[in-house]
Amino acid sequence: MNTCQDARPMIPSYLDGELSEAQAAPLRKHLLECQPCRATAQDQKNLARWFQVAKTAEAPLPVPRDFAARVARRAFQGDRGALGTELAPAPARTGAESRHLRLVLTLTAAAAAVVLIVSMAIRQMTLPNGQDLRADDKKEAVVPLPEAIQELDRLNARERDAAGKLEEQKGAAQIGAPAERRP
Amino acid sequence: MELRAMEPQPADDLCLVQETLAGHQASFQLLVERYQSRMFALARHYTKNPVEIEDLVQEAFLKAFTRLDTFQHQSSFYTWLYRIATNTILDWMKRRGRSPVTSVEDPEVLPEPSKVKVAAPDAQMERAEIAKITHAVLEHLPDIFRQVLVMREFEEMAYQDIADVLGISIGTVESRLFRARAKFKEKLLQLHPEFGQDE
Ligand SMILES: [Zn+2]
Repeated sequence: MNTCQDARPMIPSYLDGELSEAQAAPLRKHLLECQPCRATAQDQKNLARWFQVAKTAEAPLPVPRDFAARVARRAFQGDRGALGTELAPAPARTGAESRHLRLVLTLTAAAAAVVLIVSMAIRQMTLPNGQDLRADDKKEAVVPLPEAIQELDRLNARERDAAGKLEEQKGAAQIGAPAERRP
Repeated sequence: MELRAMEPQPADDLCLVQETLAGHQASFQLLVERYQSRMFALARHYTKNPVEIEDLVQEAFLKAFTRLDTFQHQSSFYTWLYRIATNTILDWMKRRGRSPVTSVEDPEVLPEPSKVKVAAPDAQMERAEIAKITHAVLEHLPDIFRQVLVMREFEEMAYQDIADVLGISIGTVESRLFRARAKFKEKLLQLHPEFGQDE
């Protein structure tokens, strides 16, 4: 590989660890010899650094306490999900096909409504009220979930900052010059 | 977070899948508990709305349940679930109608590399501040660019896996990723010119 024209398009794949050694070796050699291509590679590494830091800074989202139980119950009740792709707006169709589809969609929607009503009724019978962050009840969203998440984020960030001090001291040298993820 | 969620044991997953298929609701609940945090983390990259996040994750698990008998132990349960979740989210994004797929993409022509270089985030900056800026920039990007960036930069997926999930070729993954990064950089420098470096 002698020209920048050959080298440039391969830099992203190289930094993403997507090149075989046979492909990577000549590129590496070119990068050693070519300052402009090196600058391009450094530019992408700098960009990647934004994502790497953002990724480590993410506090886990609090999952509602009864989420798994609720999902498992729904699954075993035959709930296939309210966002089903069957209800997606389809591309324009013609004539009989369209009429048939409309009928199917109507029936599907009706069935979904029945399932929803039944499942809401069941939930009201079986769940304690108020204690949990239940985000599926859009109409009765009384818990200010965003605030709760922000508060948790803050707490988590504080905890992580305390725990991360040591690690940060160890890794300080790497912060200025981003390391390759998959050399 | 429980340790089991951080270090899932694949053999154990298969047991839970089989028990679920045999009709044990509690086993499926365990599977959901094991992966729910990662699924919430995934969904949050696509929407900030907590109601939507929860709906999407629930939908993904319900879909997984209906297809559980098709789960082959060739891939890990997480990989399999991840694909279902990603497709659920992509379907939802499509239906929401914010994916200008055709207008922004021309796989044949790649833009010239920009003369202005971007700086790595300042070592003095708070991580949370860096994360905030990164996510704010991501939100400005068209859905198809955000998708590949999330898959590559946050989920660290291989090009082939991204291609499989999106149903596109590896070449398209490459060019889309290239464009997405260029767009991200452009938007970052537009919102925060102080992170630009002249060559
Ligand atoms: Zn060069």
